[in-house]
Amino acid sequence: MWNLFRAKQSSREVAKGRLHLVLAHDRVGLEGGKLQEMRREIAAVISKYVPIDVEAVEVQIESKSRATELRVSSPLPARGG
Amino acid sequence: MGRAIVITSGKGGVGKTTTTCNLGAAIAQLGMSVVLIDADIGLRNLDVVMGLENRIVYHVVDVVQGKCSAQKALIKDRRLDNLWLLPASQTDDKDAVTPADMRKLIGELKAHYDYVLIDCPAGIEQGFKNAIAGADEAVVVATPEVSSIRDADRVVGLLAAQDIPTRLIVNRISAHLVKKGDMLSQADVIEILALELLGAVPLDEHVVASTNKGMPAVLEGKSLAAREFVRIGRRLIGLEVDTARETGGGWFARIGRALGLSPASAA
Repeated sequence: MWNLFRAKQSSREVAKGRLHLVLAHDRVGLEGGKLQEMRREIAAVISKYVPIDVEAVEVQIESKSRATELRVSSPLPARGG
Repeated sequence: MGRAIVITSGKGGVGKTTTTCNLGAAIAQLGMSVVLIDADIGLRNLDVVMGLENRIVYHVVDVVQGKCSAQKALIKDRRLDNLWLLPASQTDDKDAVTPADMRKLIGELKAHYDYVLIDCPAGIEQGFKNAIAGADEAVVVATPEVSSIRDADRVVGLLAAQDIPTRLIVNRISAHLVKKGDMLSQADVIEILALELLGAVPLDEHVVASTNKGMPAVLEGKSLAAREFVRIGRRLIGLEVDTARETGGGWFARIGRALGLSPASAA
């Protein structure tokens, strides 16, 4: 509760954050290199349909309890008139 | 027919052997007949933690290779009449035993004893596969640290793949450090691993002293850790546990329960 008013995260909060990230990747079994490869391929597919900045596409793996999800985010340009 | 429970963790040094020793003593004190198997072939330790290292004649590899019967290899505890140890071999390789050997051995022991507790080696290789082969259920021991929980998570996945029901013991938790925000709480560990909690054992110097003497802490009085091991032993064999004092840890744990942070209040 006090953490809300504290500028600095407690080491407990830091540990939790690190664990969520590490476990998300462990559970899927995707190493960093593979993940980047997948990101590039997904970006390439999107850019076939919409003109996007392929470098701005982000992929994230998130884990809550034992369920893991993949999130892909990409800024899409407004359609020019 | 008895029940076989493997005590495992993935990471080494988190207290598997101490937990096996204390849960075995706790369950034996409740009147059950208990066999402890040291499945860490090549690096045996349960014998010294139990204080039975001077009595070893035969070991698990002798039994598996048919050099003696399982009954003959069992070492009776010095303090409890219904507690036995089947030690590991110190010289053989982990490959000296197969999962099929373990299933057969544990099946035989379950016919004569109420509980068979298997002390699993660290890691997820052959020794782990042997240790979980004959188990009806598993207890994962984790300390509230990133490395331990990461390895525990891996083991939980492997146990789930084998359809082995699994529960959690959080070991060496310090209410003081949790309060300061410098240690993951038991609720954090439960949330991350998504397992049912059997208990949270406090960091307790009495355990160090007991281990030095080769004495299970639960047979040495009422230290905080000993009392928690007794509660976990009761819960493990399906007895009622006094929920008011369930998790120890003083006022912090009680407030946590009041806020619904532990499964004790959610159940």
